[in-house]
Amino acid sequence: MEQAKYIGKRLVELFLTLLVVSFLTFAAFSIIPGDTASVMLGPNATAEQLSALRSQLGLDLPMSVRYLEWLKGAFTGDLGNSYAYSQPVISLITDRLPVTIGMSILSLLMVLLISYPMAILSGRRPGSLSDNTLSVFGHVLFALPPFVLSMLIITLASAAFGIYSVGRYVKPSSDFFGYLGCLLLPSFCIALPKIAMTFKFLRASIIEEKASDYVRTSKSHGLSDVSIMFRHILPNSTVSTITVISLVLSDILGGSLIVEQVFNLPGLGRLLLAAISRRDFPLLSGMVFYLALITVLLYFAADIVSALIDPRMRNNREGTL
Amino acid sequence: MRTSLQKKTRIYMAVGFSLLAVILVAFVISLTHLYVYDPNSTNAAAKLLPPSSDHLFGTDNLGRDVFARCMEASKYTLLVSFCGVFIAFVLGTLLGMPAGYFGGITDKFIMLISNSVMCFPGILLALVAVAVFGPSLFNVVWALGLVFAPTFARVYRTGVIGLSSKEYILHAKVLKVNPMRIMLLHIFPNLVPQLLPAVVIGLANMTLFESGMSYLGLGVQPPHASYGKMLADAQSYMTMAPWLIVFPALLLVIYVLGLYFLSEAARLSFGGERR
Amino acid sequence: MKNISAKLISGLLVLGLSVGLMSCAKKGGENVDPSLYGGDAVVGITQEPSVFDPHTVVAAGDKEILFNVFEGLYKFDSEGKLNPCLATDVEISDDASVYTFTIREGVKFHNGNDMTIDDVIYSLNRAKELVPDLAGISEVKALDDGRVEVTLSSPNSELLSYFTVAIIPDEVEDINATPIGTGPFKFESYDIGQSVVLTKNEDYWQEDLPYLDSVTFKICADMDAGFIELQSGSIDIFPYLTMDKANELDTNEFTIQSKGSNMVQIFALNNAVAPFDDIRVREAINYAINRDDIITLTMDGAGLPLTTAMSPVMGDAYDTSLDGTFDQDIETAKNLLAEAGYPDGFDMTITVPSNYIIHVNTAIALADQLSQVGINATIEQVDWATWLDDTYTNTNYESTVIALTSNYAPYDVIARYETGADGNFINYSNPEFDEIIAQIPLTTDEGEKMELYHDLLAILTEDAASCYLQDPYSTVAVSNRLEGYELYPMYVQDMSTVHLAQQ
Repeated sequence: MEQAKYIGKRLVELFLTLLVVSFLTFAAFSIIPGDTASVMLGPNATAEQLSALRSQLGLDLPMSVRYLEWLKGAFTGDLGNSYAYSQPVISLITDRLPVTIGMSILSLLMVLLISYPMAILSGRRPGSLSDNTLSVFGHVLFALPPFVLSMLIITLASAAFGIYSVGRYVKPSSDFFGYLGCLLLPSFCIALPKIAMTFKFLRASIIEEKASDYVRTSKSHGLSDVSIMFRHILPNSTVSTITVISLVLSDILGGSLIVEQVFNLPGLGRLLLAAISRRDFPLLSGMVFYLALITVLLYFAADIVSALIDPRMRNNREGTL
Repeated sequence: MRTSLQKKTRIYMAVGFSLLAVILVAFVISLTHLYVYDPNSTNAAAKLLPPSSDHLFGTDNLGRDVFARCMEASKYTLLVSFCGVFIAFVLGTLLGMPAGYFGGITDKFIMLISNSVMCFPGILLALVAVAVFGPSLFNVVWALGLVFAPTFARVYRTGVIGLSSKEYILHAKVLKVNPMRIMLLHIFPNLVPQLLPAVVIGLANMTLFESGMSYLGLGVQPPHASYGKMLADAQSYMTMAPWLIVFPALLLVIYVLGLYFLSEAARLSFGGERR
Repeated sequence: MKNISAKLISGLLVLGLSVGLMSCAKKGGENVDPSLYGGDAVVGITQEPSVFDPHTVVAAGDKEILFNVFEGLYKFDSEGKLNPCLATDVEISDDASVYTFTIREGVKFHNGNDMTIDDVIYSLNRAKELVPDLAGISEVKALDDGRVEVTLSSPNSELLSYFTVAIIPDEVEDINATPIGTGPFKFESYDIGQSVVLTKNEDYWQEDLPYLDSVTFKICADMDAGFIELQSGSIDIFPYLTMDKANELDTNEFTIQSKGSNMVQIFALNNAVAPFDDIRVREAINYAINRDDIITLTMDGAGLPLTTAMSPVMGDAYDTSLDGTFDQDIETAKNLLAEAGYPDGFDMTITVPSNYIIHVNTAIALADQLSQVGINATIEQVDWATWLDDTYTNTNYESTVIALTSNYAPYDVIARYETGADGNFINYSNPEFDEIIAQIPLTTDEGEKMELYHDLLAILTEDAASCYLQDPYSTVAVSNRLEGYELYPMYVQDMSTVHLAQQ
């Protein structure tokens, strides 16, 4: 019952956040200069052509009316039609999802698969040579922002191997392995600094756990180091790193925007920039809505997971959201 | 144990400072105009030259000396990141501290606004700020501050919640000490270990975000440059003129690394933990 | 004797007929070598197509594609000349208020139906409502001898270039959804965000054309992305490259073509804002800058320097005697500024749309050059939508850099300088100019008309209306897998003459 109440409260927060976010989008749109019709038709359009387009798209209605109409539709699942592409916003978003989601998942996998072994190696013997090397390595990685990394890698690859074909994107439906191949390098660029961050936290947490009582007791009972590590330390450490991981995940979603630009991938980032440049209100509102939804859901999920695992978190002001 | 910690701290500080020294040297050069070539003078005859003894870092697509521009860029990169972080920090403090301390409706309300801003695409926020106030550097910095304020607010809030169960805080509350005093004198100093990494991450992210803004023409305005802008501009020439990317990227990394090492050193000496 | 003369006469007839036929067809129709036929080509485009209705289309990118699907009574060729197409002849009345067209026979639409006079009348009437430039048509009717007579509400001798407007079948309900025309290629499909595919029109009225079986217009995110696809072979033709990029290509694999594109890159000075309301300041700026340097910096030399508001590619309408009026002369510039009251220069802002790198780079170069005469220019980038709204429509700026495009017609190029005209964003006003330009539609004598154009250009130059920089070359890279591509001095991708390279 208490859990249900907890979940219910969070849902209300989710709803309110989405409302505020969509309102902010509406406010932003009302303030920024720029006329959708002129952008679509260009500077050589005549006044008649412009007003014809405006009435066709409903642009002559006041902004607030358009916003309310859109909002009504949004909460029933219809995010409206894009002005520029004359297509439902939802299908435009779902078309690009494979790129953004694919990269996020790949990045997350890389983060987990690389930072865990690194952290275990380091945490096993703190202060050792391997620990220090890995730590320094982690620090350097941290300073390499995905944007810079992508450009450096592309430059290096083209210098070493000739032209590196960025921008060759294949849909997962036509060639799944080709699709993965295209996303591999960009995901790696995004993942690298996150690996460093996760590694740092995980290592610190492992070291702390190692010094705790129950570990000493288990050891004195004869349990091997390895089994202690995997059965007790890691799970406990993971709990405290979950918040970091959820931060990482939402960062990944945001970080993919610029990497998409550099690697020329048709993901949500490009669509967002296009929506802004073309003053495409339904598309922009739809995308912001969607992005906000994902971010909030991620935090929500992270909090639920840690609340379920660790009862202490539940009482402490509902965690970090 | 303690000695090795001290040693570590000292090493980190040394590394951090030497890295930052590189940037500071660049900064000083840009202030004193110790250039062979002026960073803004275009030269139609000298386009896209690779590094040579004449142009140490080569020239860009407008014939400008890349070395001089890198020096110049340090000015704006430092300016943008520090001012931006400062604004984000102040805003974050104003939001996060009361949220964490008072809890209840204040907390809920502030967090709602803060989260919404966080979910909002930063570029759009920046566009609005620039649209309303004009595309000057000043406004760019404000936009950056706004975008990053929620992150700081969140760090504060978590930190304050973590501390509020500590005894000395509870004592102070019972004694009805002025909340402002409590927040400034007791809570704030103890949050420094958490705040420093956030500041460093903020500085790095700010530089990146500013370069993202450059794609839309919202960041540092030409002919000035920041490392982020130089990278954004160099994107079309990635394969043709790699020196346009390598040098600004290198300097950017040095900058962030230097800050990072310093913040680690600070954290080690403050926190006193084995981490 | 009789036999020989009969043979001679029939031989001459055949010769005469073939010559006659050939003069109507394009150059490419001469060789009917079967090995030329077949194959596919992919053209890279960077703008998402949106409109397929030839009467409502506005975007240049859309028009490029539709050039292959639709045709009008007249059609441009790659030299910028107007040739008869669906009409075989036109007769313009002495007062330039009636155009009478002879319609070509034997033309079929893509849906198999013949093109009839009714279709022509329907199309012109529809165009009259939808295409602003044809709003001057008052009546379209069929004459007894099978010709079509178009009457204008007021005389206009400059209307022929607008009769390139598409002729569409009158039975098609929604031409935007089913674009059916008479062109060398048929519309096959549009895959949003991906491509537009056109296939060969087997019944094209020019019998030897086209060569290709299909043409795909593939959408690339931007020039960089398209360039990479070009290099890797997934597209064959990529127009609107920069010279920098074009020079990177392997000449064994690609052929580069470059031509002026009837664009006028202008450093616009807002005549309504001080100090640009003073002609001496405008002149000074014209003398202070170095156009050649700007062309080298921004286009790697691939541009035509401009002195005035029209590009030399417009042919006879352009007056070559105006060339060189504003060659760089720092001394004169400084003197003019001093005369105008700014001996130490002044401060100004240059507003540029951030999405056009060429204009941003031009602004940077201009600022550098202007500093030589003491003018301190600050650059303000704004995003495209803001530029359109604030700078272009509301003329809320001091100076800006942009490339002006127009239809390939001299009237269109300078119509914007009339007082109060729609496109007069530099706020220029000169009653003498207005008087002369009003006469042009009434003048039917070509020679006289050209004189009038020369007069107008002279006025614009004397007034130093703004600072005209260059006509940036349009550069296209064509894979050596293909031959026959002809570059037009306007936004057109003519795929009818393209064929596989002969081995």
